[in-house]
Amino acid sequence: MKRRTFLKTFSAGLIGSTILDPADLLALASEPESSPLISVAKGTDPALITMEAVNALGGMSAFVSKGDIVLIKPNIGWDRTPEQAANTNPTVVATLIELAYKAGAKKVKLFDNTCNSARRCYKKSGIAEAARESGADVSFVDDKKFMKVKINGEKLKEWPVHKEALEADKIINVPIAKHHTLARLTLSMKNLMGIIGGRRNLLHQKIDTNVVDLAAFFKPTLVVLDAVRILTANGPQGGNLKDVTIMNTVAASCDQVAIDSYGATLFGMTGDSLPHVREAHTRGLGEKDLSKVRIVERTV
Amino acid sequence: MKANKNISRLKRARIISQTVFLLIFFFFLMQTEYHGRDIIAYPVKIFLEIDPLILLTTFLASHTITGMLLLSLIIVGITLILGRGFCGWLCPLGTLNDAVGYFKKQKKPKEHTETRLDRYGVKAKYYILVGILIAAVFQIHFVGILDPISLTIRSFALAISPAVNYLTHGIFDFLYSANLGPLSDASDSVHEFLKLHAISFGLPTFHQGSFLGLLFLSILGLNFVRKRFWCRFLCPLGALLGLLSRFSLLNHKVNNEECNDCGLCLVTCAGGARPHQEAEWMGAECVLCMSCESVCPLQVVSYRFGKPEPEKRRTNLKRRYLIGAGATGLAALALFRLNPVRARGNALLIRPPGSVEEEEFLRRCIKCGECMKVCITNGLQPTFMQAGFEGIWSPVLVPRIGYCEFNCTLCGQVCPTDAIEQLELEEKKKRKIGLAFIDVNRCLPYAFKMNCIVCEEHCPTSPKAILFEHEMIETEEGEMELKRPVVDPEVCIGCGICETKCPTGEKAAVYISSIGEDRSEKNRLLL
Repeated sequence: MKRRTFLKTFSAGLIGSTILDPADLLALASEPESSPLISVAKGTDPALITMEAVNALGGMSAFVSKGDIVLIKPNIGWDRTPEQAANTNPTVVATLIELAYKAGAKKVKLFDNTCNSARRCYKKSGIAEAARESGADVSFVDDKKFMKVKINGEKLKEWPVHKEALEADKIINVPIAKHHTLARLTLSMKNLMGIIGGRRNLLHQKIDTNVVDLAAFFKPTLVVLDAVRILTANGPQGGNLKDVTIMNTVAASCDQVAIDSYGATLFGMTGDSLPHVREAHTRGLGEKDLSKVRIVERTV
Repeated sequence: MKANKNISRLKRARIISQTVFLLIFFFFLMQTEYHGRDIIAYPVKIFLEIDPLILLTTFLASHTITGMLLLSLIIVGITLILGRGFCGWLCPLGTLNDAVGYFKKQKKPKEHTETRLDRYGVKAKYYILVGILIAAVFQIHFVGILDPISLTIRSFALAISPAVNYLTHGIFDFLYSANLGPLSDASDSVHEFLKLHAISFGLPTFHQGSFLGLLFLSILGLNFVRKRFWCRFLCPLGALLGLLSRFSLLNHKVNNEECNDCGLCLVTCAGGARPHQEAEWMGAECVLCMSCESVCPLQVVSYRFGKPEPEKRRTNLKRRYLIGAGATGLAALALFRLNPVRARGNALLIRPPGSVEEEEFLRRCIKCGECMKVCITNGLQPTFMQAGFEGIWSPVLVPRIGYCEFNCTLCGQVCPTDAIEQLELEEKKKRKIGLAFIDVNRCLPYAFKMNCIVCEEHCPTSPKAILFEHEMIETEEGEMELKRPVVDPEVCIGCGICETKCPTGEKAAVYISSIGEDRSEKNRLLL
């Protein structure tokens, strides 16, 4: 994070956050200001911990300006219920939408390019209903909305991207932390695959480089990692509640590499063991080494 | 003599009835689709369930009666009392035929002649009916090909509605991509609404769709040869109802003393039932369209309840043709079954989950296309010859097009004859319809030492039916762990999502074969 952004974030936090303890803010201020920040909120109420995680970063107004069109990108990939932890928690998503509107967003848009039948995923995940109730513009992806654009990545040069993602002023990435056999885990960077169209199944051939290309292209304003429930095996779509661990955790950061590195620790792994996190770090997208990251933990 | 321009009350009632039932038919067709609920909310197959021909032939062929098919006894009852009112007042194909026939130029009464087609053609449908019934007795279930309800639903599901969708999506895609600012945004909202509630969500297309569409348009086009050509000459259901109407109580009356023989009723009759003279009237052909009653300038034609007049409802079928028709039905038994598939099975014949064993399946399936219409992934397609000639247009899962959605049970819900039995979700998730095989010559980790795992990622069972063999290999970029997919035949249910999602182009490197399907005793792989 650049110094100026941090200061802006920090001061907005002072004004915007009433929940945050002043002692914490002092603690934050005393850290070296160039190091990235992850907020981690724990508690049994997904809405409260989502708010807390965002507030700890300075509140939503640090990220969303008045009149912004905001794209919130959850994982709605699978025809599974929230309990099965294959999709982002609907309450986490709804809370972020409300926060974005409170921060002055003009419109919050939401979609995902699903793996199972889109209508079933939107319904079963509970996300479409929760998001609509919170006032988001929920739409299904449609071929007509994908435009071929230059990605200029190492592997991905050109790819069809959803028009609304290109038009959005801010992108908030809201992945769920899950097991994945190829990428080992699917966290924030892998979640960006739901914004693109085309023959996505080809991307698996160099998945790590492709995922980092996407992360470098989209550069989400904010990443909120849903770890209310995490899927520890049989991912990414699970199905068996035995593979679900309840963590009651939501983490947030502007650094997509750092938060993915943190996400790995929830599974007893390190960011270093995930090739796409290593590659993103090497390419300067963020910090994989958590010892160089300030982590603010809060319990609500 | 001028025709009576005022439409009579009965004819008006008939047109309203036709319109209402056609709208209901289209509404149910639109509802034969996933609309956010795991259970279909409307009785979408009701038109098939009230069709007595389907009840009769399905019973003859499979000796089973699906409870709801007994609803067709209502139509039997109505026909016994009133005659072929079903054809004129309710049948969606009859209504469509009337709609197209409206554009045929009506002949003047003095130009009216009865050709050989009119005289002998009307009998053809009875011979067709007899052929279908005899074949059914010998367990060849051919009714769905010609039954008007089945035919209409199939044509709309597989051809007409995909064509309408194609045009509608095309218009909205154009409006969106034209970048017209607010207009494009508004068009997108309308498009999304239509996708969710009226037209299909995606763009489902079906094998032979163009052919089935042309076939249907031809049937409608025949109205320009004779109005209601199909109903007069070909419809086996019309024939059945004609026979049932033999003792009906609603009689056609012409006051012969006042009639001036203008012949207007004769040229307007939808069924070619010769309504101009009471003695010549062919009751079994009358669809109660009420055109004769309405058009008569002197108002001397009427329908009255009275004693049955079976002598006016004779069909005068020739014994030798009846025998011929029966023999043809019997010949179908031998001819249609000349197919090696019957003995060996067909690896590509993957039936939807809940399908009964193949021989029984063929004795029940009426090829109405309901299951294909409702399939959310478009994976259910009409067969051509995969199941032999007798199985033409029955459903087959083509995983390269679409897979069987793990949490979906819709196809079993809409099947009118229990060829696909309705399964509870938990049972359905375990039902094996086939088995996945890896083609190691194409599969990336095997053939090219590249990781992929798309198949494993999508596998819906828990634990997954696709496992990995791990191997550390040297690459230019250093050591890499290669993961080669291996199928666990105990766990795989053959849903086909691996084949649908496999990235190796038109020919997937993992494919489903019907072997291991639960419904078959013979088609086994494991002990």
